[in-house]
Amino acid sequence: MKTLLATTLLVLSLVATPLLAQDGKIRVGMSGQYFPFTFVEQDTLKGFEVDVMNAVAQEMGREVEYQTAAFSGLFGMLGAGRIDTVANQITITEERQKAYIFSEPYVYDGAQVVTKAGNTEIEGVEDLKGKTVAVNLGSNFEALLRNLPYADEIDIKTYDSNIERDTALGRVDAFVMDRVSASQIIKEKPLPLELAGPTFSQITNAYPFKDTEEGRALRDEVNAALSALREKGTLREISEEWFGTDITAP
Amino acid sequence: MGALDVDYMLGLVPVLLGYLPLTLQLASLGMVLALILACLFAVIRVLRIPVLNPFTIVFISFFRGTPLLVQLFLFYYGLPQLFSALTVIDGITATIMGLTMHFSAYMAESIRAAIVGVDRSQTEAALSIGMTNSQLMRRIILPQATRVALPTLMNYFIDMIKATSLAFTLGVTELMGATQKEASGSFLYFEAFIVAAVMYWIVVEMLSWLQGNLETRLNKAYSR
Repeated sequence: MKTLLATTLLVLSLVATPLLAQDGKIRVGMSGQYFPFTFVEQDTLKGFEVDVMNAVAQEMGREVEYQTAAFSGLFGMLGAGRIDTVANQITITEERQKAYIFSEPYVYDGAQVVTKAGNTEIEGVEDLKGKTVAVNLGSNFEALLRNLPYADEIDIKTYDSNIERDTALGRVDAFVMDRVSASQIIKEKPLPLELAGPTFSQITNAYPFKDTEEGRALRDEVNAALSALREKGTLREISEEWFGTDITAP
Repeated sequence: MGALDVDYMLGLVPVLLGYLPLTLQLASLGMVLALILACLFAVIRVLRIPVLNPFTIVFISFFRGTPLLVQLFLFYYGLPQLFSALTVIDGITATIMGLTMHFSAYMAESIRAAIVGVDRSQTEAALSIGMTNSQLMRRIILPQATRVALPTLMNYFIDMIKATSLAFTLGVTELMGATQKEASGSFLYFEAFIVAAVMYWIVVEMLSWLQGNLETRLNKAYSR
């Protein structure tokens, strides 16, 4: 086993080409797959998260380097120090707080059940008993569902992406994501979906950082930038541009 | 069932074409390195070189016995946790490394089989007329083994091209990653994925054509 490891390391070091940004850039991970927060159109990364992070970085006087990866890989990248933070509607949860430290929240939202248009069976989160529900792998919505008192009666399916399409196709009965994204998708995209009932849990999104000296310093810097942007009204403007409403204040 | 958005598909072609070079680069670098490694392993196994032989057996067993995705995650997210210096390995390098090790394990077995498949009497004949071991390898065994191994090696290369689609989980936006992101922005899944599928298909068809040509050339000496 030792030889195997040693040889692997040798091979690793031979092929490795260092490519780490250390020049004051802030390296931000996002999936590029969460409309309208982070998505790609004709090869251009866009969305609410991109605009907010650009503003934050500008306020900090740093350059941003975006790293897109499948959502399930993002926290791995953060843990391995490959990125400095994640801008992908990351909800502050107890579990994540054990592993990471968070900036001040910059999005206040709620968890929302979404069904195929015309589905009258599901009018809220209580109706999910006995149903199949899609959520994104590693997302907070998965944890929210699993914490419901009747969680064992729900068939929770986790996906890396495309939960909206599978619900529209009728392969699952519903999906759960945040209310603003869901509303925006229903409004702008050609999928037969509708909101089912009110939101069932408050969620607050913030940027996670590693709990190290550098992580804490960067977090403080980001917090200062966020409150400056809040005061200037920039956060509200970006939110209204994307959602027609201010989701950056409680 | 709505009509296909052809304009969207046409617009996507140049965008996705831009990611094809990276996909091909990942696969061809992986293939070259895997071939080198696989040849080494095959020779070690055939000659039963002490110390190296058991190591090779364990290596092949591990990389054939675990999924490629697990190996990629292990290199990219797992190892840096133990040795933080390994964070210098970026996603592209990690992908190439993963492909190299994974496929070299398979290819080593193909190459070994091809070498062993050359009749023993030929070795004896060559040695009897005074050929050295390296002459025997270069002139007798390898030309025949190459011809036998070519179709399976090509199969692995084709498989490797498609396996690069896993790289997006390591943050490498190659053809599949780019397609996924475009699709989840537009929600036009069928349109996006059919464009990607046709691109992979054309590449593989071109390789098959190349393989046919190579085979004809290698078989010339043996056709009867």
